[in-house]
Amino acid sequence: MLVLRHRFLFEQLVRRELRQKYKGSALGVLWYLVNPLVLMGAYALVFSVLLRVADIPDYPLFLLVGLIVWVFFAQALLAAAPSLVGNAALVRKVRFPREAIPASVAAVQMVTFLVMLVIALPVVLAVRGTFEPALLLLVPVVALLFCFVLGLSLAVSVLHAHYRDVEPVLAAGLLPWFFVTPIFLRVEDIPGVVEREWLANLLQWGNPIAPFVDAVRQLLYAGTAPPVGQLAYLAAAGVLALVGGLLLFRRMARDLAVML
Amino acid sequence: MSRAPAPGEIVLDRASRAFRVRRDRSRTLKELFVRRGHGAIHDSVQALNGVSLQIAPGEAVGLVGRNGAGKSSTLACLAGIIPLDSGSARCGGRMVTLLELGAGFGPDFSGRENIYLNGALHGFGREEIEQRVEEIVAFSELGEFIDLPVKIYSSGMFLRLGFAIAAHLEADVMLIDEILAVGDESFQRKCFARISERMRAGATLVLVSHDPGAIERVCRRVVVIDAGEVSFDGPVAEGLLHYHRLLGAEEGVPADLRPAVGAPALEISELELLDADGNVRHVYDSGEALTVRMRLNVRDSIRHAAVALEVRSERGELCFRGETTLGEVTGAVEVSFEVARLALLGGSYDVVVGAGGDEAPGRRQMDRIAQLTIGASEGGEGIADLRGRWSVAPRTSRQGALR
Repeated sequence: MLVLRHRFLFEQLVRRELRQKYKGSALGVLWYLVNPLVLMGAYALVFSVLLRVADIPDYPLFLLVGLIVWVFFAQALLAAAPSLVGNAALVRKVRFPREAIPASVAAVQMVTFLVMLVIALPVVLAVRGTFEPALLLLVPVVALLFCFVLGLSLAVSVLHAHYRDVEPVLAAGLLPWFFVTPIFLRVEDIPGVVEREWLANLLQWGNPIAPFVDAVRQLLYAGTAPPVGQLAYLAAAGVLALVGGLLLFRRMARDLAVML
Repeated sequence: MSRAPAPGEIVLDRASRAFRVRRDRSRTLKELFVRRGHGAIHDSVQALNGVSLQIAPGEAVGLVGRNGAGKSSTLACLAGIIPLDSGSARCGGRMVTLLELGAGFGPDFSGRENIYLNGALHGFGREEIEQRVEEIVAFSELGEFIDLPVKIYSSGMFLRLGFAIAAHLEADVMLIDEILAVGDESFQRKCFARISERMRAGATLVLVSHDPGAIERVCRRVVVIDAGEVSFDGPVAEGLLHYHRLLGAEEGVPADLRPAVGAPALEISELELLDADGNVRHVYDSGEALTVRMRLNVRDSIRHAAVALEVRSERGELCFRGETTLGEVTGAVEVSFEVARLALLGGSYDVVVGAGGDEAPGRRQMDRIAQLTIGASEGGEGIADLRGRWSVAPRTSRQGALR
């Protein structure tokens, strides 16, 4: 749709975004890959070695798969929120589809996410030693994840343009959000939810990013297909977020050139 | 009304747009909750008030007006950057805009990469831009700077690149805001030549400028915007005159020259600059003849009317001041001041005239101003045209090595 028609613009903005991020940095884009790896090392040490709560085989891999989904989600939102405000000069003086700005920011994170997946995939296959056809489900699941993140990116960018507290609120909220997302353990393995099914359900379904983390982990780490109900949830979350985000953006972006 | 405009056609139909001027610009969530129901405190400024305009393909229109009159808003609405409150603004075909130096550039991109980015922002595809890149690079005269990041560019270089891009992409409509003034005279000339070329190819131009010279050189039609409304729409010479009248009523005139309040006993109602053939013009070359013609209106009758004329440079330096007494004047008279040879060098000047009456001759109230532009002159710098001939002769005696 829009992205197709303005493919070239989109590509240019993504390139600009990458250039601005990594000017004068020796590792450049590699920094994006370092982040989840460092987190993986730290959490593996804490949960598996020090606290010993996680009794999961190949725990670092288990962690890594969840972390790359989370890092993509969190980084995309954090980068998208100030993106319109940061490009105020552009928005005020040139006409182009404004969606392209938060979308290009989210796309940069998407690319790093994909690179992480490509790196993780052979490791996963080597560890498991088999290739399950369920792995092909990764394609639609990742596509839905991108729709979900893109929709939220559009929303937070335009909300931040109107209310400048959105970014700090987001930055503060993402940390607790991270801890209630089942990244360290599967929901059913969390000691506190045993015998409290409502809490397990809340953690699993009340947090829209949790089913995405879980689905990618089931596919990559366990090699099993998520249940149909969960796939339906992902589809609904992806489509709703994208449509809702786009509608909100269109509605609130009208006067951007004036208010930025 | 529902017909889509043809490529290059511009139609503004009762376009209105108000801006709220908030006390502080950014809102926060706290304010949202605290202020709820109280209504935000702000004033409203009507930037466009029912503006209707029709511009045909291939026309070059100069948009002038005082600061804050709504010129740039009109342009932004035409560009589709700012939505209208009511009415419509439509441009047919593809459009390029040059509204601010360096807008739409990535500071860390090289000049060459920015050609692609800027083209993409204006909706052009890779192939279309690729075909034009070499022309754009050549026109910009940036040399090896074209491959350096634009963050090191000077404003003149931004202009060169920005204009080169805008004028070489095959757009039907070009919207240019008060940008060309940054360029040096020779580059400006090149820009105007390129604009004329694009006009001949059927492109439409809307140019916002404070520089009557620029308007006169490329436009056939002037639209004067004042207080959000079209206050004049017609030929360039008349339009600029109309604009100068608006200006004369406000700034541009040093504070001590501004007309006093109250109905004047006499006033100058018209001021025109005429060339040797009697045509109204604002751009002259050094050495040309100039006639300043004004119309003096006297309310009743005045015994010792006097008229003063000043020429000031752009920086406000007095280049010339002269006055004459007219004796007794009744009704309206036309007063002319003829200069056989404009002994001024290239630049912008203000011609300010004023009239005084029976009271002691001294400072007159200056109540009309016209802008005079002298085209670039070679062989000398400054204000006064004292360009002479240099010569060298062998030294034969004690005196006169170099005359």
